[in-house]
Amino acid sequence: MVARPSLGLIGRIVGIILLTVMMEFAVSTLLYERAGEFSIKEDEARRLAEHLVIVQRLVDERPPAERPAITSYLSTDRYKVHWQRSAPERHMLSAELRQMRDQVVEWEPALASAGLQLQLASPVRNDSVAGQIILSDGSWVHFKMHGLVTGWGLQFNRIILALIPAIAFALLGGLLVRQTLRPLKSLNRAIESMGQGERIVVREEGSNEVRHLIRAFNQMQDQIGRMMADRTQALAAVGHDLRTPLARLQLRLDGSNDADLRLSSGEDIAEMEEMIASVLAYLGGDTDPEAPIRVDLAVLVATLVDDMTDHGHRIGYRGPDHLVATLRHNAFKRAVGNLIENAIHYGEDVEVSLASEPDAIILRVDDNGPGIPAESLVDVLEPFVRLDAARSRNTKGLGLGLAIVSRMVERESGTLTLSNRPEGGLRAEIALPRPNPAKALPRQQ
Amino acid sequence: MTAPSVLLVEDDPPLRTLTARALQENGYIVRPAATAAEMWATFEAGPIDLILLDIMLPGTSGIDLCKMIRQRSSVPIIFISARASETDRVVGLELGADDYLAKPFGTRELVARVRAVLRRGVVEERRVIPSNRAEFDRFTVDFARRQLFSRDGAMIPLTGAEFDLLASFLSHPLRVIARERLIELSRTRIGDSSDRSIDVLVSRLRRKLSDDGRPAPFITVRGVGYMLNTSVNRI
Repeated sequence: MVARPSLGLIGRIVGIILLTVMMEFAVSTLLYERAGEFSIKEDEARRLAEHLVIVQRLVDERPPAERPAITSYLSTDRYKVHWQRSAPERHMLSAELRQMRDQVVEWEPALASAGLQLQLASPVRNDSVAGQIILSDGSWVHFKMHGLVTGWGLQFNRIILALIPAIAFALLGGLLVRQTLRPLKSLNRAIESMGQGERIVVREEGSNEVRHLIRAFNQMQDQIGRMMADRTQALAAVGHDLRTPLARLQLRLDGSNDADLRLSSGEDIAEMEEMIASVLAYLGGDTDPEAPIRVDLAVLVATLVDDMTDHGHRIGYRGPDHLVATLRHNAFKRAVGNLIENAIHYGEDVEVSLASEPDAIILRVDDNGPGIPAESLVDVLEPFVRLDAARSRNTKGLGLGLAIVSRMVERESGTLTLSNRPEGGLRAEIALPRPNPAKALPRQQ
Repeated sequence: MTAPSVLLVEDDPPLRTLTARALQENGYIVRPAATAAEMWATFEAGPIDLILLDIMLPGTSGIDLCKMIRQRSSVPIIFISARASETDRVVGLELGADDYLAKPFGTRELVARVRAVLRRGVVEERRVIPSNRAEFDRFTVDFARRQLFSRDGAMIPLTGAEFDLLASFLSHPLRVIARERLIELSRTRIGDSSDRSIDVLVSRLRRKLSDDGRPAPFITVRGVGYMLNTSVNRI
C-alpha cells in the first residue's frame, strides 16, 4: 500500500487546536469591533456630553501655556482630562464606540465638529472609555472616563458574544478530533471480532501513527492466523499418524492368545482412537471444507436414535418424520451424536425431540441423569473442561465433546443451551434459526 | 477353489507385515507392496482378486493410484486411510473404490470387509451396467456416493445396511424378493447392522421413505417377502 503523505496524530490535533483558536480569535475580534454598537444609559451620555463641551470651551479659551493647568483642574476622579499638541496614540486593540459617540453627539451636536472619538480605554476592561476632541488650533484634548455605568448592556453582551464562538469552535474541534480518531474505532471493532475468531482486514487510513498501527494489527492477524493454521495442521498430522501405530497395536493384540489382554487393551485402543477423533473433529471445525446441504434432519436424528436402540439403550424419538434443514450434514451428525452419547452416558432414559417452530428448529436431548450444577452449565461448553464429582465417573476422552457440539452449532448460526430439567436430568437444546418462512413459501398465483 | 490373492499396498513396514499376517492366517494369499512401483510390478505379475490400498502413500497418492487402476481394471479396491472423515470416504467410493477401512482397524474388521467385498464381486456381476444414479417414485439414488435424495433435493440419511437393502430392491423392481434372499444380499456388506433383522430394516426404510401420508413404495407379501412396487429409471 502506497503511503499517502500525512500529518501525524499530534500534528493533526495541534492543527485542529490552532485552527479553532485562530477562528475563535478572528471572530472575537470581529465581534469586538462591533463594540461600537454598545450604548450607555441616556443620562450618562448627557453628562459626558456636557462635561466635554465645557472642557472644550474652557481649554480653547486659554493660551497653550495655561492649558495643562486647566486640564488638571478640570480632572476629577472619574474624568481625567489631558491636553497635548499632537493627536494622542491610540491603543491598537481598543474598539471604536460609535454608537456611544452618536449618543453623545445627539446631546451636543457641537462635539461632532470637534472630531469626537470614543474608544474602550483598554481591551480588557469594559468600564472605562477614552476619547479625544480637537481644538480650534489643532491641538488635542484627551480624556478618560472611569466607572462608566454601562450595566449589563455592555458586560453581558460581550460575555455571551465571546462565549458563542468559543463553544461553537470547541464543538467543531471535537468533531474534527473525532474524525481523526475514526480509523481507531474500526480497528477496535476488528480487534473485538478477532477475539471471536473472525478475521477482518482493516483498511489503512488516517494519520501516520494510526496507519502504522492498523498495518501492524493486520500483520499480527496474519501471523496469528498462520501460526494457528500451522499448529492445527501439526496436530492433525500427529492425530493421523498416531492411527498407524494404533492399527499395528490392534493387529498384534488380535494375534495374541491372552483373551483378557485383548479385551482390556482393545478398550484402551478404542479410547485412544476416540480421543484422536475428537481432537481432529474439534480442530477440523475451522478448516473443514464441508458445505451445507439440504438434509432431512428428522431422518438424521431418527437414524442416530435407531443406532442407539440397536446397541441396547433406552432411547426414544419424538417429532416429525421429515424436516428438511440446510446444514453441514457430517458435522451436525457428529454434534447430535455427541449429545446423545453424553445423555446415554449419564442417564438411563433418553428422549430426543425435534420441533419445527416458526422462527427456529428446536432439537432437544433430554436425559434422566444427575444434571450439571447450575454454575457449570456454561463452563462445560469450553474445550478440555471436565466436571468433577458426580459427572466425572467413567469419563473418557478429552472433554471436547460439548465443545465440538458448541462449535458446530455455532457454525450453523444456531445456539446450544444446557439446562437442568425440573423433573431431573439434563436438557441439551439446539436452536437452529430458519429463514423467514414467509419467504420460503412458494408464491401463490 | 484357490485362495483369493490380495494385493496389499502399505508403506509402513510393520503394519504391512501385521496386516499381511492377519490375512494369511485367514486363508488369503497376500502380495505386499510398499510403493506404487512395487504395486504395478505385482499387478502385472499375476491375477489379483482384491487390492488393499493405503490412501496416504509417499509419492503417488492413493487417490491417483486408484484412478489409474480403474482405467485398467475393475478389480475390487478397499481404501485404507487414517483420515476417517466422511468426505474422504465419499471421495474414495466415488473414485470407484468398493469399501473403506479406517485406521486403526483390527483383524476381525479387516477380514470381514475383505470377505464382504470379495463376495459382492462374485454374487453380482459388477459394473456390467455402469449406472451411477437411479430415479424411483419421489427419490433419486446416487450409487457411487451411496446417498438417497428426495425429489426436492434434500438428502435422506441412510445407514449402510439400509442403503444395501434399498439397492437390492432397486435392482429387482416390481418383483417379489424372498426374505431369505434379502438376508443373503445384505450379508455382502458388513457393518454393525449385520445381525439386525430384515423386518426391522424394512420398517425403518419405510418410515424414511414415507411422506405426508404417502406410504413408501414397498409392499409386504405375506409369508414370502417384500416387493418394490414402482419402476426404477437408471440414469
